[in-house]
Amino acid sequence: MSENNSNTEKTASVSILRKRWKKFKTIKRGYYSFLLILFLYILSFLLPLFIGRDALIVKYNGEYSFPIFKYYSAESFGQELQGEANYRLLKKQYQEEDKGNWVLLPLYPFGPNENLLDEMGGNPPHPPSAQHWCGTDDRGRDVFARLAHGFNIGLSFSIIVTLLTYVIGIAIGAILGFYGGKIDIFGLRLIEIWGTLPFLFVIIIISSIIQPNFLLLIFILTLFGWIGIVYYIRGEFYREKARDYVSAAVSMGAKNSKIIFSHILPNSLTPVISFAPFAIVANIFSLVSLDFLGFGLPPPTPSWGQLMQQGLSNIDNWWLIVTPLVAMFFTLLTIVFIGEAIREAFDPKIYSRLR
Amino acid sequence: MKPENILEIKNLKVKFPVTGGLLLRKIAEVKAVDGVSLELKRGETLGLVGESGCGKSTIGKATINILRFSSPDVDITGEVWLKTDEGETDLLKLSRNEMRKHRGLIQMIFQDPYSSLNARMSVGQIIEEPLLYHTKMKKKERGDRVAWLLEKVGLQPEQSKRYPHEFSGGQRQRIGIARALSTNPKIIIADEPVSALDVSIQAQVINLLQELQSEFDLTLMFIAHDLSVVEHISSRIAVMYLGNIVELGPGSRIYHHPIHPYSKALLSAVPLPNPKLKNKEQTILKGDVPTPMNKPSGCGFRTRCPIAKPECANFTPVLEIKEPEHLAACPYVSA
Repeated sequence: MSENNSNTEKTASVSILRKRWKKFKTIKRGYYSFLLILFLYILSFLLPLFIGRDALIVKYNGEYSFPIFKYYSAESFGQELQGEANYRLLKKQYQEEDKGNWVLLPLYPFGPNENLLDEMGGNPPHPPSAQHWCGTDDRGRDVFARLAHGFNIGLSFSIIVTLLTYVIGIAIGAILGFYGGKIDIFGLRLIEIWGTLPFLFVIIIISSIIQPNFLLLIFILTLFGWIGIVYYIRGEFYREKARDYVSAAVSMGAKNSKIIFSHILPNSLTPVISFAPFAIVANIFSLVSLDFLGFGLPPPTPSWGQLMQQGLSNIDNWWLIVTPLVAMFFTLLTIVFIGEAIREAFDPKIYSRLR
Repeated sequence: MKPENILEIKNLKVKFPVTGGLLLRKIAEVKAVDGVSLELKRGETLGLVGESGCGKSTIGKATINILRFSSPDVDITGEVWLKTDEGETDLLKLSRNEMRKHRGLIQMIFQDPYSSLNARMSVGQIIEEPLLYHTKMKKKERGDRVAWLLEKVGLQPEQSKRYPHEFSGGQRQRIGIARALSTNPKIIIADEPVSALDVSIQAQVINLLQELQSEFDLTLMFIAHDLSVVEHISSRIAVMYLGNIVELGPGSRIYHHPIHPYSKALLSAVPLPNPKLKNKEQTILKGDVPTPMNKPSGCGFRTRCPIAKPECANFTPVLEIKEPEHLAACPYVSA
């Protein structure tokens, strides 16, 4: 039995998933893009620490306050203003007074929704400067801060929509593909009818009745986004169901739930997983387009699409159109790189699934 | 006293509907198995041979009652009696839930060692899966049993952590055998277990099956299309053609003295290892196997039979005793 000894060397045994992850890591462009996006995305949840109007720490008359977590009126720091304190002015004020009070501002001390007209003077939009790296928009808000916050909102939006569409699409596709027969025929017809609803018009109609918000937009995009996934998963289930390991599971006495979840499902996810980064790209794009058309997130939410729309109506102010475009270009490019690497890592080559 | 037969198949008919048209109505049917009766005697190996598409795998899958899962529209009639010490059960009458408790007794080895193992599960997980359904073993006990089984099939216990893609075809088939053995079954249906393997590995796997058969006191239904493989392992052989058994008898008798014209043709197609032995008369069959959708009337073999007579179209031949224990379904031949 010589053939049995070939595999006995002490090499670590790897599951297919681990193997693909290893292969993914060898594709440098995709792997570094993945690390970069992951890093930026995690960082973007801490954005107020780096980019924002609220000071991190204020020392006033020997007492420390943390305005980043709490609202403070201007008077409470001895500032002669109405409403909330303006920490940039406060910093200057304290420096001039030189009484031992100080303010620690974020690295880039401008908020995404903050109107800077009082401090800057002139007519918005302001061109880029050392202080405002990407200038301001037509309402005097800092473009760089809006871009950064828009990144978090856009990516979160897109990841949530992708996850939801995947859960729904995989569940429905699995039911159709596994049970087949009449369920499949009628289910598919219903999906086809659902799929003919014009997505854009539905959004326009809904947003003309109510102002869409983050959750409502997620809901609407999910409502129409799951259909494509159903077809993939249904087809995979049909194919995998006919294979011998599923027959073997039946002949062992496995229940349907076990067959679906531990046998067929793990073997059917390959196409949708390699498709996921492209779905995320598509969803970012959908949000940008909706914002651009004015059916997206309600103002003053920082959004790339809304910036582009401003750029288009103020075509002389190049930074309004160039900066969101560049930001979007690089984000989408990195995610596409990730998707490309995942697809490559999942490419069977030797251990082909389609033998 | 134990019953002599452990499994009795009575008049098994399997028809797959062919649907078509706008409303997917049934427009024809494929008679994959057309009235087959067989007994499996306790401890024996029954070889089931025939060309591709003659229904031999279908018999195996119908016996183990998994056909309705993959093709819910299939029309199965007849009886499959499982006879154990506890009593007799007609497996075909059972629902999938009721069938579940008998599954530990009757297991299957599949043809393709590549697709019959779930690539996402480790070998240990694959082999212990039946134990989860049929025993109340603890994790530790299952692990011990897996290690023991792996050794029994000639693999190393440490390999239980590995994944199927790290094994060769022959090794994978051994894993499939270990899985089938895990619950101590009485009957194993081996559906062409070696036809996907290299010839040298085929011999190893067949010898392994024979060793395990005596050790585990197994009854085997060995399905194959290669007569020489079947002859080596089987005590009795059933030759199938187009959904019917045309000849049934002791392995050596069928291999050396076939009676039915189809068995003769099948045997003469077995390649001889010695090129000098050319004096054996060869029967080359004309034409192709007719489609089971539209079987010839009367004897299914008459369109290709070298001794066909016009009357053959008028009656369906039944198995007749030609010599002790040896039956053939043709009235015009004798032992």
